[in-house]
Amino acid sequence: MDTESIQHEAEAAPAELETLPVEVVTPHKEAGMLITLAACVTGALVPGLGHALLRKWDRAFVFLGTISAMFALGLALNGRLFNPDFSDLFSTLKFIADAGSGLLYWLSWLRGLGTGDPAIYTYDFGNVFIYTAGLLNMLVIVDAFDIAMGRKP
Amino acid sequence: MNNHFLLMVIFSALVSLVFAFITKYGAWERFRYFLYLFACFVFLSIVVGFLMYPFPF
Repeated sequence: MDTESIQHEAEAAPAELETLPVEVVTPHKEAGMLITLAACVTGALVPGLGHALLRKWDRAFVFLGTISAMFALGLALNGRLFNPDFSDLFSTLKFIADAGSGLLYWLSWLRGLGTGDPAIYTYDFGNVFIYTAGLLNMLVIVDAFDIAMGRKP
Repeated sequence: MNNHFLLMVIFSALVSLVFAFITKYGAWERFRYFLYLFACFVFLSIVVGFLMYPFPF
């Protein structure tokens, strides 16, 4: 790439920035280590709470609503909450995916919900909804971490 | 709630919503990305369903 084209790109950059959303263009600063840790821990306990701590209210409400709905729907479809069982790889992975929902999983598990019955038609659907709720919450925690570190608006 | 298609649509909508909010900024961008992901989920699920049809599972 020659000097002229580099200079041309540098001149074009501000015009491109104008088309981006305000949240992206506005510089965002890093939250403190304590806030970052708190956002990740609270996000792991309750979906969206980490974002609420970072004052990202729209995301917080959407994540709380969506992930809780998926988890509740999974239970309603007779999905199973897998116990903390580390005897084989698949049981471990199923437990990790389920437990990703945080307190939703632990409170339901302690109350004896999600016994599941493989003979019921929607058993597999229920399991998939519960796994996905936990896995999405893990992504949401990573998102909260990125926001707190100032990598994302 | 024994309808496969309805459950797949609900699943697709909820997952697309979370992905749209994680990856995009601004209401219009999120809405467009949500629609795109949702359409991909539903369309590709039906295509894969048809491709799997001959397999004796």
